[in-house]
This record gives sequence, C-alpha cells and structure tokens, in this order.
Amino acid sequence: MTPRLPAIVHLDADAFFVAVEQARDPSLRGKKVAVGGRERGIIASASYEARACGVFTPMPTARALKVCPDLILVSPGGGGYSGVSRRMFDLCETLTPVVQRNSIDEGYLDLAPCGHRTAAEVEAAVRGLQRKIWDELQIPVSFGLATNRLVAQIASKLRKPRGFVVVPPGAEGEFLAPLGVGKLPGIGGKTEAALAERHGIRLVRDVLARGEAELESIFGRGWREVAAMARGEDDRPVQTEHEDAKSYSQQETFAADIGDFAAIERVAKGMVDELLPAIRADGKRARTLTVKVRYPDFAQETHGRSLATASDLEADFYPLVGPLLRAAWRRRSPLRLVAVRFSGIEDASAQLEMFAATDEKRRRLAGVLDRLNKKPGTAAVRRGHQLVPGQGPHSGAHGRPQPSKLTQDRARRP
Amino acid sequence: MKFKINRDHFANGLAQVLNVVGSKATMPILSNVLIEVGKDHITLTTTNLDLGIRVKIKADAKETGAVTLPVKRLATIVRELPNVDVTVDASANHQVKLASGGSTFRIMGIGKEEFPPLPDFGDDKVFTLEQAELITMLRSVDYAQSTDETRYILNGVYLSFRDNKLSLVATDGRRLALVSKELETPAASAGHIILPAKSVAELERMLGKGGKLKISFNDRRAAFQIATDKDTSGLIDHIYLYSKVVEGNYPNYQQVIPKETHQRLKLERELFLQCVHRAQLVCSEKANSVKIKLTTNLLEITAQSPDFGEAHESMAVAYSGTELQVAFNPAYLLDPLRALTKDEVFLELKDEVSPGVFKTLENFVCVIMPVRLS
Repeated sequence: MTPRLPAIVHLDADAFFVAVEQARDPSLRGKKVAVGGRERGIIASASYEARACGVFTPMPTARALKVCPDLILVSPGGGGYSGVSRRMFDLCETLTPVVQRNSIDEGYLDLAPCGHRTAAEVEAAVRGLQRKIWDELQIPVSFGLATNRLVAQIASKLRKPRGFVVVPPGAEGEFLAPLGVGKLPGIGGKTEAALAERHGIRLVRDVLARGEAELESIFGRGWREVAAMARGEDDRPVQTEHEDAKSYSQQETFAADIGDFAAIERVAKGMVDELLPAIRADGKRARTLTVKVRYPDFAQETHGRSLATASDLEADFYPLVGPLLRAAWRRRSPLRLVAVRFSGIEDASAQLEMFAATDEKRRRLAGVLDRLNKKPGTAAVRRGHQLVPGQGPHSGAHGRPQPSKLTQDRARRP
Repeated sequence: MKFKINRDHFANGLAQVLNVVGSKATMPILSNVLIEVGKDHITLTTTNLDLGIRVKIKADAKETGAVTLPVKRLATIVRELPNVDVTVDASANHQVKLASGGSTFRIMGIGKEEFPPLPDFGDDKVFTLEQAELITMLRSVDYAQSTDETRYILNGVYLSFRDNKLSLVATDGRRLALVSKELETPAASAGHIILPAKSVAELERMLGKGGKLKISFNDRRAAFQIATDKDTSGLIDHIYLYSKVVEGNYPNYQQVIPKETHQRLKLERELFLQCVHRAQLVCSEKANSVKIKLTTNLLEITAQSPDFGEAHESMAVAYSGTELQVAFNPAYLLDPLRALTKDEVFLELKDEVSPGVFKTLENFVCVIMPVRLS
C-alpha cells in the first residue's frame, strides 16, 4: 500500500494582476503598486508594499490613494492576464493532468496519480513548479500541500508571498488548531467577530473544545460540517472539468457620471462586442441580453429581453441594446455605471438552417474578426459604433470601453 | 326573435364556430356568437377580426331577429340540455330564454349592432377545389409551419395558384414541406396567399363535410365557401370562413429544394417510422438527433444521449450507393412520415451537411436540414 502523501496542492498566485504588470515593467517591482480602475474604480490587486500601507482589495481607488498617496496605479487596460494565467496552468499540467482551475490566479493540483513514493518527492516536484513559474513568467506563487483541498488551501494562504507550506498526513488537525477560526472557509469577518464576542471562539481549537450540543446551538444545522472542517477533514476530489459559464457579463463605472444616451449606448454595444467573441470561443450561444444601469446614488435598474432562438451574432443583439438601455434608464439622471449581461447560454446548435445564408456569412465574418482581434488589448478591427465623432479611433474616454477583465465576471454557478 | 331547434344540430353548429373568439378585454362582443334567425334556419357567426366563421343550421323560425350570446357557455349549456327539442326566445333587452324539457335558462346577451360584420366572399380570384383533396394536401404540409412568432411570415401555409398548379408550402426554416396538384389557373386568377396557422387549423376542421369548396382571395384576405352537402347533423348550405392573410414575402422556397438526386432509397413508410420513433426514445432535449447510416443494403438508425444511453435500429433496404451518414432531428423525420398515407416513400440523401428529402409519387416533397454530426 502506498503511504498517504500530501499530494493535494493548492496554488495561489501572489497579487496576480500586479505581478503580471511587474513582469511587464520590472521597474514596478518593490514599489507600492496597485491595479485598479481610475477615479471611481476599485483596487483589484495591490502589491505587498502597498498592502503594508493599508491598501486592500476590493477598495475604492479614491480611498486607496488617500491612505497611500504615493501609490502607483496601473489601469487594467493592458490586459493579458488571462494569457499569463493560462500559461501558468499549462505549466501546472506538465506536473500532473489533474488540475482544477478555480479562478484566474488560483487552483488545485492532485499529484496522487504521478507515482511519487515519498512526501519529499512530492515536495521537490512542487518546488520545481514554483521555480519554473517564476523563471518563465515572473509570477510569484504560494503553495500549500496537504492530503485534502481544505487544508492545502488554508496552508497556501498562510505564508504569502512565495509561501510553501506542507502539512504532513495525519497532522491536519494539529496544523489547524492554533489558527484563527476565520481561516476556515465560510467564516467571514462578521461571523468571526460574533464567535469571539458571544462564544469566546477565537481559534480553530476552540471549536473542537465544544461539545456537540453546544456546536449545534452555535452553528445551527451546519454544525457537523464546521466541526469536520476544524478537524481538517475534506473529501472533495480535485475536479478537472469545470462548469460551463452560465452567463457572460461586463460592466463599466464611468470616471464621471454620463447623461449622454448615445455615449452610453456606445459603451454597452462595445461590451456586446467584447462578450460575444468569448461566447463564440466557448462554442456557445446566448438567448437573453440584460442591461443594468446604476445611478450616482447606487440605485440600479435592469431590463432584459430574450431572442426567440439563441444567437452568437452581434447583429442579433445590437437592436436590443438601445431599447433595453432606454427601458432600464427611466430616471432623468446621469448614470454612474452600465453593465451588460448575456444569459440563457446554450450549446451552439448543430441544427442546420435553410434560409440562413446571411447568418452563415455573418458567422464567417465574426470568425475572421475574432482571429484578427485575438491579441488582448489590440483590437485590430472595430465596429463603426465604437468610433466617437471628433476623436481618433484609439482615443480613450468613454468612446472605447477598456477591456476591463477585472469586472468581466464569467459567473460560474454550480 | 324566436325559434325552435334540434338540440344536437344546435350543439353541432356551435361546435363549428366556438374556437374563434377574440380577446375579451378589448371587445367583449367578440366572445359572443351572433345568432340570426332566417326563414327555415339560423345563422351562427363568430369572429376575432382576423378570422371569422359562419354556419347555417336547420331551425323552425317563429319570429325573425338577431342577438349575440357568449359562445363558450352557450355551447356547454346546449350540449347538456335534457330534451332534443329546444326553444330559444329573445326579449327586446337581449335577454334570451332557453327552454328544453323541464330546463329553462335565462342568458344575458348583447345586441347585434355592435357585432362586426364578416366581409363578403368577394369576387377577386376564385377557385373551386375538392374538399377531400385540399384536406389531404393541408395535412401533408401543416406540421412544418413555424410557431416562432418572430418569424411571422412562416406562421402559416403558403398557397400558390400559378402555372396550372396549386402548391401548398410550409416551412419553419429547418424543414420544408411542399405538395402540389394540377389545377387550371387562368392568368387573371393566378396568385398566392399565406394563410395563417390558426385559419389553417380551422379550415382543416371544417373540410370534409361536403364535396366542393370555393376559395376567393386577394392580397389582404381569403374567403372559403365550404359545401356541407354530406353533413347529417343540421348544417345546410355552406360554411363560410373568412381570414386575413399574412402580409409579406414568403421566402424563395424553390431554392432550398435540391435539384439533383444523389442517393435515393425506397422505404416502407410504417417500418421506417417505427424505427425512428423507437430510436428517438433515448433522445433528450440536449441530444435531439438520430443518425442515419447507409451501407450496402443496410440502413442503421442510432441515437444517444450522454446521460441516458443509446439505441440502435437496423432495416434492410435496397441500396448500392456510397456509404454515408447524416443526422436529423427525429421529429422532422416523423412528422412527414405520420402525415403521409402511402405505404412507400422515397428518401434522398447526399452527405452529412446536405438536406434529406422525402418524396412520394404524388408531387410531395419534404426537405429536412440535417443536424451537424459532432
């Protein structure tokens, strides 16, 4: 029988977006750097130097600049994050085929199928990966190694940046016991404070010290799960297949409130232009388009409409943008934010159509455009509606929405 | 207004017209049937403004006049009356008394003045057809109509009277059914209409009660006079059906019918239908296709859905062409197979991205677009 090994690995890139920017421009290393939207955006990622000054995520940029006036703010326009992320996970796959990508900068590996005989071999392999990711991509990554996902994940976050924590088999409970109870997933700041104040539970070990009845009265029906977590038990496997995206969305907070309908419609159409290539790349079609607007007082409204049959073509959705925006934007007040969301995602139909010669042509055109515009941040061909009169094709402002990958959440809901 | 009528005749007459009612909110009178008393008959009329139906039933008139009554409730009541003799008597305030045996009903009606009149038959372009023939033709194409309201042009059956031919076409953009027959079409009367799906359904219901029918149409409307000479339940003269037509250009259907035949095989319709039907049992909403594989003298039908399982059917056929595979939505195969009545059908195939074509010897064609093989 093979000995139990700490073969479940959690990898977590350190300040990923900042690290990508620092790799691009090494002069940013060692400085107080943050990636985030200007003026009214939020901080998406902050360097450890910036964090030391009190910058955290997600924090409004304006406040970050107040607590850390010499913060170097990099706007996320450059993009390229998903490319770096993909290369990082590609490197992981040179180690083991069992890679679970959780988000752009974090995931699990299972090294059990790799035939390592000792914990030292596993450790050496993962250290090699950590080095390789740094050598090839200049991205610092923290690793946690344990016998299950829960403990590996807590371990990886323990000594950031460039952490490397191994929890030997059998030592899971011992490892967790002295940690703050807030390290357990699902126990957030408020719960943590309430547990300390009302029940005197501060450390994981305090949970284990309580009897069953008491735990039930504190945590309610989920108490067994909490107790199992506190003991470091978890049997979820590392899953290589990810759920398909349920929706594709993008939003933009304007630098200053905008009251010009045409300008906002242009921004929203620009989002349609960015999201549909992603939908096509996934081999999907969308049925429903929803437009959300947010007013300066954060009140918001949404309006959506569905096509009779799902589509992956811009031409089918363009006519909906204006009317939806008009329907959602009912107050006579400028807007702070606009967002576009595609839902009702279906697999691209394999059923051939009879009178679809035009659609086929459009789809071919879209395919060519997608290839031309493949390089992030360098849209080679753009639609006419993205051009602002009186401005060049590459001028920024509100005419051209930045490919704000940070807010482009491809919500994956189980 | 007063008349005496046979309960079953009255019920049958109401059954003919009761499907055609308008929305109650906008015009309440559209949920009513207009009852007009003639000499030896009564006339029943309903309309929803897009479509209207009028039938005549034998009745013993005591006093002429007219009234309108809620058609659905009236039809239910008449069906349930205890005695075959029914007398109907309307007072000046449109209150109607219905008596049969020991039962008496008083029903609130609305005066006939508000009831929108049905336009006349018209003398635009007129053709006379056999009812039996038209109903067969309608049934062999009607399943292919689109129900997608955004493609309203396809929400009906296209009738073309041209080139000494009557052609009926229906398509939803994924399959197309066409049937035609010879018919003299003088240049002055040549033309076409798109008859809306609802009117097609009502027309099919009305046909078969007599020998002939007459159709008249122009760009905006069509009207049908349907003889009731074979009816034995009280209908007299003819049924009149008036319908607006779908306005717009029907797609050029000729271009999607393959001109050449590549591989052709003769199939026993019922056998093939059963095979496809059984294979379809494993299909799911996400995996809704059956694959047809042709090799020398063998036709195989397979279907599978990842979360359930698979089916394999085989049938011997006379085939010596090249081996080929193509997949279809099973419903698109089953619909024409069920609608046809002949024992034999021909299926023409080319390759996995070309349409399959059902044909019979009687000017019937059904073109079905394939599902891309994964």
